[in-house]
Amino acid sequence: MDIFDQVNTTTTQDEFEPMLELTPALVQKRRSQARIIFDRFMRNRTAVVGAAILIFMFLFCFLGPYVTGHNNPNAINVSNVSQTLAGPSLSFPLGTDDVGRDELARAMAGGQVSLLIGLTSMLVAIIVGVGIGSIAGFYGGIIDNLLMRLTDVVLAVPLYLLLFVLSASFIDHTPRSVILLIAVLVWPAASRLVRGEFLAIKEREYVLAARTIGAKDFRLMFRHILPNAAGPIIVNATILVGNNIILESVLSYFGFGIQPPFASWGNMISDGQGYFSVNPWLVFVPGLLIFLTVLSFNLVGDGLRDALDPRMTER
Amino acid sequence: MGEYLLEVQDLKTYFKTKAGFVRAVDGVSFAVKPGEKIALVGESGCGKSVTALSIMKLIDQPPGEFAGGTILFEDQDLLDLQESAMRKIRGGQIGIIFQDPMTCLNPTMPIGKQIAEGLKIHLKMSNSEALQRAVSLLEQVGIPAASERVNSYPHQLSGGMRQRVMIAIALACNPKLLIADEPTTALDVTVQAQILELLSAVCQEFGTALILITHDLGVVAGMTDRVVVMYAGKIVEEAPTEELFAHPRHPYTLGLLASVPRLDEGRQTELRTIEGAPPDMLQPPPGCPFMPRCFFARSICRTMPPLDPLPGNSTHRKACWPDITDPNEQAYAERRQQARVEAQKAAIREVTNIL
Repeated sequence: MDIFDQVNTTTTQDEFEPMLELTPALVQKRRSQARIIFDRFMRNRTAVVGAAILIFMFLFCFLGPYVTGHNNPNAINVSNVSQTLAGPSLSFPLGTDDVGRDELARAMAGGQVSLLIGLTSMLVAIIVGVGIGSIAGFYGGIIDNLLMRLTDVVLAVPLYLLLFVLSASFIDHTPRSVILLIAVLVWPAASRLVRGEFLAIKEREYVLAARTIGAKDFRLMFRHILPNAAGPIIVNATILVGNNIILESVLSYFGFGIQPPFASWGNMISDGQGYFSVNPWLVFVPGLLIFLTVLSFNLVGDGLRDALDPRMTER
Repeated sequence: MGEYLLEVQDLKTYFKTKAGFVRAVDGVSFAVKPGEKIALVGESGCGKSVTALSIMKLIDQPPGEFAGGTILFEDQDLLDLQESAMRKIRGGQIGIIFQDPMTCLNPTMPIGKQIAEGLKIHLKMSNSEALQRAVSLLEQVGIPAASERVNSYPHQLSGGMRQRVMIAIALACNPKLLIADEPTTALDVTVQAQILELLSAVCQEFGTALILITHDLGVVAGMTDRVVVMYAGKIVEEAPTEELFAHPRHPYTLGLLASVPRLDEGRQTELRTIEGAPPDMLQPPPGCPFMPRCFFARSICRTMPPLDPLPGNSTHRKACWPDITDPNEQAYAERRQQARVEAQKAAIREVTNIL
């Protein structure tokens, strides 16, 4: 057999192997960005504990009154002396205060006020802070200077002094006025943070790249820069909630915030401290609730910071 | 409309620093015809990227400053345009691709949305239309499974893929001119060839003119119609690509071509370089900026030579006094080089003697 035949037979015997079609199977299995962040958050044990406590706290305050039937925080039971300053019992699981009000119902009603004030004042402060901080950071120059000096003015006055002075003259003791007062005092910190982030991110190449396709300033600020600054802002927001709950409690404790008979965790402590030797529950319960809530907001904030790490890899 | 799509005339872009003006681009003139591919070549810091950013008017002012010249795009001076009119040109008429695709995509936005952005801004497309077009653009730049990929985030793609996405973004609105600022520097060699081929193909397909900025002469050779060589903020030579490679007429171009390493050379051969460093752009020498490094230099080089076409060849321009193809000049350069080598050897001997 000569060499040409040999070549021919091998080529005819060779099976024709079609080219493999490479459709990436992994494409379908990709998790969304939100899912990646959620998964990373769930791996952080302490943050999950914090989130669980928070969820429980919200259920406790907002659904608790309907589920447990302890929905009358202002009912006064002075007729029966045994029902004032009572310890925990079946009818009053957390006892009663000096005029026989149901401590459990008050804790839940006070929690509603405290959480509401904490969350909404955070929202207002973050919106104002993001607005001012992003304008200052993006445009720089004289605008930046003016806005930052304004924030410096607010920051320069001692926080609690301003809080008490303003509350004495402006507050009408409704939750709305407390929310506004707290928001007015805490936005500078948020706006400084946002400004810093904007200063750094506006120099990134993808912002330049977005300008090369003709994006306007507004689009650059809120579609390209702000989402990349979201991590620190969200973390700051969660910590701010805890902070604001404390501020509200301080106000109410000193009698400037929510006034009795309406409950808030702060004025419950201040009401209860006179009877500390008789019924320490009156101080411990709201104190513990504040402590747990603030702690868990901070834990969640920590977890979010890790989960929102800008170097988002698919881990 | 004239013959040219883009005509840069005597462009001067300076940057103000404490020590004075840095003349990053100092009197650059060139022109691009519709659909033409030209290359802007030069070493780092010679003003290539600043030229590109000047055309887009994306130089931050301050510290940047357009000290003179005009940039005519379709007979409209871009330097005179308002920012709002300029925004319509960016992306709509002129697209740009940057060097590093790793940092040029927004990490918090899916790539499909980033492609769709330009379409929504310039062509006023609706969300769904723009996304559909994004998918077909992704297919055109050769990304497999494009309809799934539109929702991917940049970090889920490789470098080559991201550069393809950048190309898709730049070409989304069908611009008349595409500027590619060192588009392959950050990529693997294998991917480089693919990207260049793709750039060339899509420009052909869309009828887009291309300004390819690079320091890699190998990239230039196969892709472009014309080459503009820049040195220290000035154009030193301009010629059709083949002409430039075959008959370089400026000593700097000659040096660049000689310093490309060759496979067929022996391993022990010394790599050829252009000795010295580019001049300080704060105080550029009054004459030819290449003079201090040039073996052909004579006293006439102390005045800046004009960028004149060669006699008998209007497409080939050079800014150099001596005619480097003249054997007398070559002999002169050879003598000067020898003298330099001797001086260096003497210096080395002196040092070794001391030791």
